[in-house]
Amino acid sequence: MKKLIALMLTLAMVLSLVATATAEVLSADDIEDTMTAADGKYEVAFVTDVGQLKDKSFNQGTWEGCKIFASENGKSYKYYQPANGSEATDDDRYDAMKAACEGGAKVVVAAGFLQASALTKAAVEFPEVNFVFIDGWALTDANGNVLPNVAGVAYKEQQSGFLAGYAVVMEGFTKLGFCGGGGGTNPACCRYGYGFAQGVEAAAAAKGVNVELKYSWEYGASFSASAELQTMCNGWYEAGTEIIFACGGTMFSSITAAAAANDAAVVGVDVDQSFESETVVTSALKGLVSSVKWSLAKVFDGTFAEIGGQNTSLGAENDAVGLPTETWSLTGWDVASYEEMLGKIKAGEIVIDDSVLEAGAIAEVPFEHVTIQYV
Amino acid sequence: MSFLIRETLTYAVPLMIVALAGVFAERSGVINLALEGIMVFGAFIGCLFVRVMQQNEVFVLLPKSANWPQMQGFILLTMLVAALLGALFSLLLAFAAINLKADQTISGTALNMLSPAIVLFLIRLIAQQNELTLFKGDAASWFMLKKSMFGIPKTTSNFFVDTFLNKVYITTYVCLILFVVLSVLMYKTRFGLRLRSCGENPQAAASLGINVVKMRYAGVVISGALAGMGGFVYSLTTANCVANGDVAGFGFLALAVMIFGNWKPLNIAGAALLFGLFKCTAAAYSTLDINGDGVFLLAQLSKDPVWGKLLNANFYRLLPYLISLLVLAFTSKKSRAPKAEGVPYDAGKR
Repeated sequence: MKKLIALMLTLAMVLSLVATATAEVLSADDIEDTMTAADGKYEVAFVTDVGQLKDKSFNQGTWEGCKIFASENGKSYKYYQPANGSEATDDDRYDAMKAACEGGAKVVVAAGFLQASALTKAAVEFPEVNFVFIDGWALTDANGNVLPNVAGVAYKEQQSGFLAGYAVVMEGFTKLGFCGGGGGTNPACCRYGYGFAQGVEAAAAAKGVNVELKYSWEYGASFSASAELQTMCNGWYEAGTEIIFACGGTMFSSITAAAAANDAAVVGVDVDQSFESETVVTSALKGLVSSVKWSLAKVFDGTFAEIGGQNTSLGAENDAVGLPTETWSLTGWDVASYEEMLGKIKAGEIVIDDSVLEAGAIAEVPFEHVTIQYV
Repeated sequence: MSFLIRETLTYAVPLMIVALAGVFAERSGVINLALEGIMVFGAFIGCLFVRVMQQNEVFVLLPKSANWPQMQGFILLTMLVAALLGALFSLLLAFAAINLKADQTISGTALNMLSPAIVLFLIRLIAQQNELTLFKGDAASWFMLKKSMFGIPKTTSNFFVDTFLNKVYITTYVCLILFVVLSVLMYKTRFGLRLRSCGENPQAAASLGINVVKMRYAGVVISGALAGMGGFVYSLTTANCVANGDVAGFGFLALAVMIFGNWKPLNIAGAALLFGLFKCTAAAYSTLDINGDGVFLLAQLSKDPVWGKLLNANFYRLLPYLISLLVLAFTSKKSRAPKAEGVPYDAGKR
């Protein structure tokens, strides 16, 4: 028995040595997703949204922010996926957060607006732990008091959606599609979608062309890939659609499969997805990595009070939205023009409506140059 | 029209081949409820094989798909691997049902529960998440056949080329050929007759010198191989070669198709096509142009103020199941399962 304990201890020590030795590397792919802390406590915890950790999009981007921050600053980190996958309930999410807090978390990063009620419960129960609510807002307890240990971080998705829409129309696409996740109720996806439509309208007006936009929330409720989604997109491409904005996590996989089959194109979301498929023309970014790092830094340098209990909305002025310029592949619209437009958005010369148009509300918007076909 | 046929086949082919898998087991006298589980396992094995091969650069995709024959060989090899491992997995069922004379419904259900669990466990070990994706690229650019590969220019467009040579996977044709060959095997050969006799009256078969245990093993193993292969075909053609411990209930649907088709290959093919057609209609109704006049009739109907109340997306999604129920209600009287299926073979019972 003693020998066994000694062996286990040695193993644990060796493993923790390995962990600290590799903590120098800074590229997200080089940082292991699982690490073993010497004391079994994990200071930076991440609770995923529905969908996979490695969804090559929202979860992954947020997680990379956590990982990079933790490695740069020698913190221990761990991710928690709520049970039951895309059917996770508030209880499952709460259990994941509780496990994170009890596992020694100083800060829990929770991704996705669905976490709100679980997060409220956890934040009340663990007042000494700080919570960063990505795609979220400041929360209040049952008595209406603002919880000072929750920071709501949201993005102006409409701005990057606008830029993506503008870019693809300038590139020469005239038959577009939008496939959104969350079944038409996710505020971030709704902002992306409406922003995209506005960008399309603006570019179509500038070029004096008429553009068709198919707009759908079908088969995206759980952000997951499905045979049906792939068939639907195959049908769109077959019927002439040239490019689809794949706005939601793992749905990307079904949509690129359809695009590759039809030699057509895709607009990625949240992170630069051009590395995942050759069909990706551009991606509507939000600066998940940088903003997660920024908020985590505030936790550990003691300035969390600046964002705790508040809504932070990050947009072009914070360099938190945009298109990827390092992998720019568009020829009809160059980086300089993009930078110019981004500057105008920063300066407030171009204002993009940030309304959250749920489900089919987009069909009611009067566009001059865009024909919306709500599917 | 070409689109509709292609997409219908995409749904129908895995159903068909897995339903035939069910027929082989049941005709030999063993109920194979584990079709779903074996499909999940086969899909995992296939995707893993493709991923490992990509990772080790055994097969490298050249630009412009110049080496497409090699890719087709790759996919055939993967089908074979998925079939082999599926057969191996089904031996668990064969052992429980034939040697241990266990209740076949329960052992099949056990495999259905076991398989996703093992698969997810392994996927988590390999990929640290709940799904195993391709190592690089997407299924279509690696494996899909396009007309340009046959030297047909992009501008050429006729019904045959658009339907059968463009944007299809070779797996569809392999499965269709296998379906025919195995149906002939079952009905026109000595082996097939012996196999079927073991599912009807194994004692009588044994009295004529047929080894019932061997025959039943053969039935279950063929069944496992087909189901494993079907699982991989499903994930290749509809899920971008992603394994996640789930085949969207296609194994159970295949069971339904088998019963629906009265354990007969031709009827099964018809049932699978019918089901595939309505599944495809439900997913793609908004862009279905059936007669090629540029009008999307179903989409228009769904927007119609009167018709739209009934003929909308939800109704189209209900259709495959509604039609199945209706057809079953009218045909189930004539339905006849193999007589000895589900009954463990007991040589002493005459």
